[in-house]
Amino acid sequence: MHTRFSTMGIERGFFPKQNDELAMRFTTQRDAIPKLIQNLQGLGYVVIGPSVSEGVVRLMEIAAPDDLASGVVDIQAPGRYRLSGGSSFAFSAVNGPDSPKKFLHPAEVELVKYTEDGKGIELVSAHQSEKRYAFFGLRPCDLRGVEVMDRTMMVPGFEDPVYSGLRNNSIFVVVNCTRAGENCFCSSMGTGPGADSGYDLAITELPDKLLLDVPERRANLVKGIELAPATEEDLRTGEEMVQGARDQMGRRIEEENPAKSMYAGLDSCVWGKTAERCLACGNCTMVCPTCFCNTIRDKTDLRDGSVSRMRTWDSCLSKDFTYSAGGNPRQARAARYRQFVMHKFAYWTDEFGVYGCVGCGRCITWCPVGIDITETVNGVLKDRRERTAKLEAPPTV
Amino acid sequence: MLFDLGNAGTPADYLPGQFNMLYVYGVGEVPISVASYRKEKLLMHTVRSAGTVTSVLTSLGAGATIGVRGPFGKQWPIAKAKDKQLLIVAGGLGLPPLRPVIEEALAAPDRFNGVRVLYGARSPPDLIYTHEYDRWRGAGGCEFFLTVDRGTREWKGNVGVVTTLFPKAGIDPKGAVAFICGPELMLKFSILELAKLGVSPENIFISMERNMSCGLGTCGHCQLGPHFICRDGPIFSYPQVRDFFPREGV
Repeated sequence: MHTRFSTMGIERGFFPKQNDELAMRFTTQRDAIPKLIQNLQGLGYVVIGPSVSEGVVRLMEIAAPDDLASGVVDIQAPGRYRLSGGSSFAFSAVNGPDSPKKFLHPAEVELVKYTEDGKGIELVSAHQSEKRYAFFGLRPCDLRGVEVMDRTMMVPGFEDPVYSGLRNNSIFVVVNCTRAGENCFCSSMGTGPGADSGYDLAITELPDKLLLDVPERRANLVKGIELAPATEEDLRTGEEMVQGARDQMGRRIEEENPAKSMYAGLDSCVWGKTAERCLACGNCTMVCPTCFCNTIRDKTDLRDGSVSRMRTWDSCLSKDFTYSAGGNPRQARAARYRQFVMHKFAYWTDEFGVYGCVGCGRCITWCPVGIDITETVNGVLKDRRERTAKLEAPPTV
Repeated sequence: MLFDLGNAGTPADYLPGQFNMLYVYGVGEVPISVASYRKEKLLMHTVRSAGTVTSVLTSLGAGATIGVRGPFGKQWPIAKAKDKQLLIVAGGLGLPPLRPVIEEALAAPDRFNGVRVLYGARSPPDLIYTHEYDRWRGAGGCEFFLTVDRGTREWKGNVGVVTTLFPKAGIDPKGAVAFICGPELMLKFSILELAKLGVSPENIFISMERNMSCGLGTCGHCQLGPHFICRDGPIFSYPQVRDFFPREGV
């Protein structure tokens, strides 16, 4: 059995527990879900959860309990996503193309607006948002995705005000996975299938009821809900079901803490071979819960001549992403594909102290040609192992 | 280009090697290194018309208003050259970010065991700051060398890339600390030649150019391996970047 990496070996620490507070564990019936949603709304949150739209489970506002994608099962494969029904579970779909990034680091945002009156440039407005999001039914990998984003967008002294404002106003109701998606590999990245910290409420869906993990400070989220203390039996069932998802996971990264080996694989032939299939469309970076790259452009309003500085998502797969007067360092598609993967599996650990990949598998599902990032990484690792073995092998005379 | 910062600060707030994001209303922003020296009255940037923003920027007249966001990045480690030979190597528009270092060195040349400035451009008309050369040459302790890739009929000086100046400059391999800025190819060959002379990699510092866009390490454009050039650079010691530069496509 492939066990979960406890730390991925990073000295600077991998998601330390926020505090040592006691979590209280209860069970409740599945019909408590509407009340949970109501409680969040009552506290002033916009509830965001999985909802079906045009045949895909998206993260959208859950205005009423019926909006939840309950009973829907996602069937995923490289380059393939379909929905079917028939599940008795309320949180039955694993993950769709959206992650909290869509809300906390919006795809398009007006950073500032200026006018010019002939005498100088005047600031009209700077981005401000009072939005308070409650992510409801979030998967553990996506919760870790938010923590990875925290490290990139909230570096002390370089804090991004848009992200930190939205993020600090958000709370997270996580649902532990009891079924692994076809493209999932969170157990290799140490980010799932169960969440052990960082949530405001954790739910494990047992066959006949919900097991709740309620941090003490969040008792208000379960107010008015009929709770029973969780029994030993409930806790064991929950753990077994999460373990079931772990055992079910068909994809994995072959080496624990692969950053060092990946650095040594910068010149691997795998990059070029894989890039022959890559369309450089950037889908992988759009659906990735941690890809943060963006471009800021001026948008001029022709009516009054005012200018908005617009920030939009961008992608290291785009040809002109690195273009400057000095030339374009990543002209070749293989170089751009390598940047995407090396960033996640090597550079990120030096930049932010964690891996940039949380193993959600979205880049595999939403790649139009089904490129599998685990296959690429394992290929680079294997290539390197073989070359090292060749060097170390005794000479055959 | 000289900029009056109004009440937004003085050139002393901008350290040698750092850069600003210059903004033209309705057009966009570009990263441009600080060319002024802290004791000067006005902030100076040297801009060549190359892309959309710089072409508008260079066509602005006196009295125009632009946006200045900065300063960003690390500075040249001038203290590391104390009591050593300070070797300044610039190619083309790589001279502006080194101009404050030259001025800093000339203000107190006794801190160094000699100062050498080596500057190369494509052709004589491409040379910048020509009015400063006599003053730099005349300053005590500083030796100034010029070269162009292609000469003209009037050109009497050295012809060849900047590394052709190395044998003439009296470089002290053991005691030199080199600051280099220019196109990537020029950086690559300068480093190679200095290494051949025996200058240790730890004593070679380069200023890298990439598509710096946010200045904060949150847009991703300027990454070089595990470094954000805008935040961790643009000044790097050679050992910091040698696994990623000049490797193709990183």
